[in-house]
Amino acid sequence: MGIDLRIAGVSKHFGEFQALKGIDLDIEQGSFVCLLGPSGCGKTTLLRIIAGFERASAGQLLLNGSDISAVPPHKRDFGMVFQSLALFPHMSVAENIAYGLKFRGVTGVKRDDRVAELLDVISLPAIADRPVSSLSGGQRQRVAIARALAVQPRLFLLDEPLSALDAQLRDAMQIELRQLQQQFGVTTILVTHDQTEAMMLADKLVVMKGGEVCQQGAPQEIYSQPATAFTAQFLGASNILDAIASDQGIVQLFGADTVFSTEEAPGTALKLSVRAENVILDRAPHPSGGPCAEVEFIRNLGASTEILVKNGATTVRVRLSSRDSILRTLAIGERVALQFDPEGCVVFRADAD
Amino acid sequence: MSRVGLLPGEGGGSYRLVVCVLAGIGIVIAAAPVVIIFIMSFSAAETSSFPPSELSLRWYESALALFRSDESSGSQAVGAALISSLQVALVVMVLSVTACIPLAYALVRGRRRLRQGMELLFTLPLVFPLVMLGIAFLLLAESLRWELGLWRLVIPHLALVVPFVLRNCMSAMQSISRETEEAAISLGASPLRAGIDIVVPLMKPGILAGLIFAFIISFNEFTITFFMYTIDQSTLPIWMYSRTVSSLDPSTLALSVFIILIDLVMIIAIDKIIAGRASLF
Amino acid sequence: MPAHEQTLQSLMRHQSAARVRRWRPDSALWLLCLPALLIITPFLVACLYMLRFSVSADTGSINGFSLQAYAELAQPYFLRSLWLTLKLAASSTVIVLMLAVPLAMVIVTTRSASWRRLMTVVVLLPMILNLLIQSYGWILLLGPAGVINTTLLQLGMVERPLILLFNEKGVLLGLVQTSLPLAVFPLMSSMRAVSQEYLEAASGLGASHWRSFVDITLPLLKPGLIGAGSIVFAFNASAFAVPLLLGGRRVRMLGLAIRDMISPLFNWSGAAAGGMVLILIITLVLVLSTWLVSRSDVRGGS
Repeated sequence: MGIDLRIAGVSKHFGEFQALKGIDLDIEQGSFVCLLGPSGCGKTTLLRIIAGFERASAGQLLLNGSDISAVPPHKRDFGMVFQSLALFPHMSVAENIAYGLKFRGVTGVKRDDRVAELLDVISLPAIADRPVSSLSGGQRQRVAIARALAVQPRLFLLDEPLSALDAQLRDAMQIELRQLQQQFGVTTILVTHDQTEAMMLADKLVVMKGGEVCQQGAPQEIYSQPATAFTAQFLGASNILDAIASDQGIVQLFGADTVFSTEEAPGTALKLSVRAENVILDRAPHPSGGPCAEVEFIRNLGASTEILVKNGATTVRVRLSSRDSILRTLAIGERVALQFDPEGCVVFRADAD
Repeated sequence: MSRVGLLPGEGGGSYRLVVCVLAGIGIVIAAAPVVIIFIMSFSAAETSSFPPSELSLRWYESALALFRSDESSGSQAVGAALISSLQVALVVMVLSVTACIPLAYALVRGRRRLRQGMELLFTLPLVFPLVMLGIAFLLLAESLRWELGLWRLVIPHLALVVPFVLRNCMSAMQSISRETEEAAISLGASPLRAGIDIVVPLMKPGILAGLIFAFIISFNEFTITFFMYTIDQSTLPIWMYSRTVSSLDPSTLALSVFIILIDLVMIIAIDKIIAGRASLF
Repeated sequence: MPAHEQTLQSLMRHQSAARVRRWRPDSALWLLCLPALLIITPFLVACLYMLRFSVSADTGSINGFSLQAYAELAQPYFLRSLWLTLKLAASSTVIVLMLAVPLAMVIVTTRSASWRRLMTVVVLLPMILNLLIQSYGWILLLGPAGVINTTLLQLGMVERPLILLFNEKGVLLGLVQTSLPLAVFPLMSSMRAVSQEYLEAASGLGASHWRSFVDITLPLLKPGLIGAGSIVFAFNASAFAVPLLLGGRRVRMLGLAIRDMISPLFNWSGAAAGGMVLILIITLVLVLSTWLVSRSDVRGGS
């Protein structure tokens, strides 16, 4: 598939503060891209630059190869869903959806048909004449999406559109949003700070931090192979442990050898990122002389059991299946051996970020 | 044990009594003049015996007669004064709101500095003593010797009204999120179009309140007009003043009731429009 | 990682700064200010013109520079009028606050919305309504041939009408009435900020109603009281219509004194200088109150 939007060296300064530092990003035709990052990482600023509400201090936005940096937002022909949804409170649902159509010369019966079609798509055919104030959260959400899609946008932009919904509704809307996007085949960029949402929706995930792109790629790839400790942590790795490279090229944790090897010079400070579910507990002492820790806290959560183990000042979070046999006898204060499933573990240099 | 609070319920003892008595005095002082005018305007007697021994509408009749016999008095007739009062108030109302809508937009959306400076500038007429406004405008008008006509009164009234209108427009503007406007723009509306389609309709309560405020203030204005009026350009309050400078004429009371009713309707309208949402000051 | 957290925080601060930025150029916003600036310009010109007049060497026109007009204000008739103004403004402020606090309390605590609305409108009335009409009301009520005097005469309780108006007391009453809403409305909003829980806590600790009013409510209302008081003072110090209509020309507050300089005397520069003095007093009071409020805020915040 071809490149739809190319973001080339886009920077943004607000006074002395640099919100975006030379972002390069290719967005493919028809793909669903999620910009993921903590608040303040510049993701919203980037989206607003794409929409035209902010001007980049440097760099270019190439839409199908032509620079659109100087095109005012109302001429870009993008559909946008805002964080607050920004439905027009003084208009009915149908008027909201039809608003963009009048600037595209769609009037009369054709306009009414298009509105009806979209209301059908969002499965709310009966609410055309209702005032938006009478809608529920989920309904507003759908109307906001329908309003942006009604104009058949070149690009579909969403700024944390689901953040106001409660967890259950959010799940349902994520699925619906993904289906709508595929149905319309529209190139979509969504900004979020919620990694589950990003994993759920994205064809391509762009992790941002401090105005830069940390990593981009398919969600599964980033999840299993995070490039930095930050990405690992942001994608839900619960343990980022201080480790060190030994003389033999082995990663040492708590002064004991682990199963991981490293090419870093001996003595290099490392970080070991481990998901809670990838830690395996065994009775101490460690069969191969590996790291040990003391059990501090056990809590059965039903299907899984959460255990905190401690070595010195470092706490490791472990999640075991509640049926794991070791749990039958495990007691607080007991010493246990830590083993790691290499699948979910990544080693970084401590200074790499 | 009595309910605790700013004003305790039953059993508040001397505290509650004192608070209620003082508040009662406040209400009486605020309302006494209006109430007394209202009652006495229906009195049939020439004297101010209270309560009126007999009720009649004779003062209303003579107030109406004032409008009919226009040429009888040497000075400006009451009809002309009323018309010019209304003209001034309407022009002031329309101009002030027209100017304050874009200003409120610019101040709410603009940088803090712009906003603070402008707000200060536009509250200045509020702090300025009315006498001084009257004298300052009179000085200027007399020195320039321009034939200003209606504008002789409209221009000072505008300065007086703008702080109130601006405040109402701004508080309405503040509740309009930037995203709502941007949504319209993202759908293809030009910024100007978004202003007309989205911002102005959403500002409507503030605009209405501003219109009414402007009308009330201009229509009731006395002090500045007292300095600025001429034989040709006067207002109803000034006409009433010049008529009653020596003694109270009950037919002006009837006229006063008429004005009070207009004002009351307007206040209630404002109260309805901005109910609980914005402050009056 | 405190350092990391710090950068995150500063980033977030910048982010929120970023959110308020517009994409529209500043010049467009200035353009939107233009009509209103146009409307207010005559006011500014008039003010500057008056300032210029006050330092004119000629009393009838702008001619040269001189502080003569200010020097001439140091005459007994102006000083008396200045003293009277300060006295009436101060005493009316005290009375207004004594009435406005209970009134605001009652309005805020009234539970029925329609009663609350009615009281609000009644209190608002003196501010909105034509001062002329209100003074008619007072004359009807308190004048020599007014309701009270007529009633007293009929009952034989007095032999001659009491002088209730056209003296300082009458003016004071008028000042109190017209400036009451200026104090009640700001006090209502600071009253809403006094949390019920503070008073419950005080009562739980054994404070009587009077005690908790003095110890809790009043200190919490202080900024509101200072603000309302200064506005009332400034408003009443510059009163014109009330002393004109209720003072019977005997109570020459500054506004009237300044008018008299123009109308019979044609001393324009004197009137301008007197006006500048009045504006100075008002500015001082307002600045002082802002300073007091900000100081008490600092103390309350620490």
